[in-house]
Amino acid sequence: MDPMDTTPVSASPNAWLELSVAVDQEAAESVSELLAQYGYQGGVAMEATPRPDARGDEPGMPYPLERDPTYPVTLRTYLPLDAHVEEQRQRIEQALWHLGQMRPIGTLQTQIIAEQDWAHSWKQFYSVQRIGTRTLVVPSWLTHTPAPDEVVLHLDPGMAFGTGLHPTTQLCITLLERYTSAGMRVLDLGTGSAILAIAAAKYGVGAVLALDNDTLAIQAAHANIEHNGVQAQVQAALGSLGAGVGLRHWQGGNVPSDQLVQPHETRMPPPYDLVVANIVADILIVLAPDLADALAPDGVLITSGIIQQRSDEVAIALAAVGLHLREYHSAGEWVALVHGRRAERRGGQAC
Amino acid sequence: MAKKLVAVVKIQLMAGKATPAPPVGPALGQHGINIMGFVKEYNEKTAAQAGSVVPAEVTIYSDRSFVLRLLTPPAADLLRKAAGASRGSPTPSRGNPVGTITKKQVQEIAQVKLADMNTTDLDMAVRTISGTARSMGIVVVDE
Repeated sequence: MDPMDTTPVSASPNAWLELSVAVDQEAAESVSELLAQYGYQGGVAMEATPRPDARGDEPGMPYPLERDPTYPVTLRTYLPLDAHVEEQRQRIEQALWHLGQMRPIGTLQTQIIAEQDWAHSWKQFYSVQRIGTRTLVVPSWLTHTPAPDEVVLHLDPGMAFGTGLHPTTQLCITLLERYTSAGMRVLDLGTGSAILAIAAAKYGVGAVLALDNDTLAIQAAHANIEHNGVQAQVQAALGSLGAGVGLRHWQGGNVPSDQLVQPHETRMPPPYDLVVANIVADILIVLAPDLADALAPDGVLITSGIIQQRSDEVAIALAAVGLHLREYHSAGEWVALVHGRRAERRGGQAC
Repeated sequence: MAKKLVAVVKIQLMAGKATPAPPVGPALGQHGINIMGFVKEYNEKTAAQAGSVVPAEVTIYSDRSFVLRLLTPPAADLLRKAAGASRGSPTPSRGNPVGTITKKQVQEIAQVKLADMNTTDLDMAVRTISGTARSMGIVVVDE
């Protein structure tokens, strides 16, 4: 691309200049170092397309290209398309020229990409997802005629977490299928796309409060709740629970604490028959006392977003606030826990 | 049936700070993997290393599933710290060194990086690290 071509679109706040260069693997570290100095947030991506004989059928197995340092890789970094982009591009080009005097370095390639390019590119690979025993996640660009016992969640995977593809979402939905019952009052903490809140509503609970401390997530949650026609049952709000008001969102967002509502300030205050919190271990540990306080005497707490090696810490934190571990489930590296105020469900069985 | 490998993408990011913005979105989105799934897993696994650059290797399979593996710090980072240099030389080919490092230090860095290089040949790793040092304008000295 002629760098002069960048000028007409440089005013767009949602466009980027992708810079890529092919190098051999021995040069990759030094070129990465260079690109990281200029790239957005120091981010650099390196990609090599496997040779046809690459196997790679076991997670973690050695990657064949690693053993061939002469095989080229492509390094990419990204610059926001603003008034400084051409100056930065020239600096990178000059620095690459110097490195090229010492070892072979490919020509710097550039292309303009729009934000929606990656926000939507993966949709083409998305299909109807079956989760649990009777739940289907159907994106808007696909059609599905459900069987009488199937519950369909209409959800477009977007920037908010909770597309139905992640193991933690699947674990939570599988548990919600079993633990929800008609008329329940439910809190979905860290709702993301609201997938769990919508699922609970469609399983027949009475009301769901869906909170998240990320503005984009709540925007997505509102849209998804309306799209699924469960507005009467689900209330979504920018908010958090107890100590969570002082915590940042796990993706780095930082909504001022005075803009976050607490459950008792909503039209659906505690206690709750069921609380589901698919967040991360660190936050669940901090929130343990608040989660326990929010539960009704017979209430059930489902926690997930926990990587396996940290599940003990979460279980210990929840035990310390008087909750009993009823179930432990894992999918790959991820874990979901079910706790109750009592060791057993009233009229039910412990596991 | 074994899942077929489609691509391996290494992404260099600040620990705990991954977002769908570049480079994550464009680099991974083109392969059809769940970007937010990656972001959550990366941030969760790197939360304890805040403030450091932690590269991740994302192995992508034909069913759009992926495996994320954290890598050792970039060799350039380790070399800069060992040489006491704040950054690499912008003009290494003109002999403008930014620092020096001993062969023993190079060997120590190579030992650290060996796990990611999928070789047990320390000599080869030392040669690669020495090459990276030269490219950054860091001179390797005997003592």
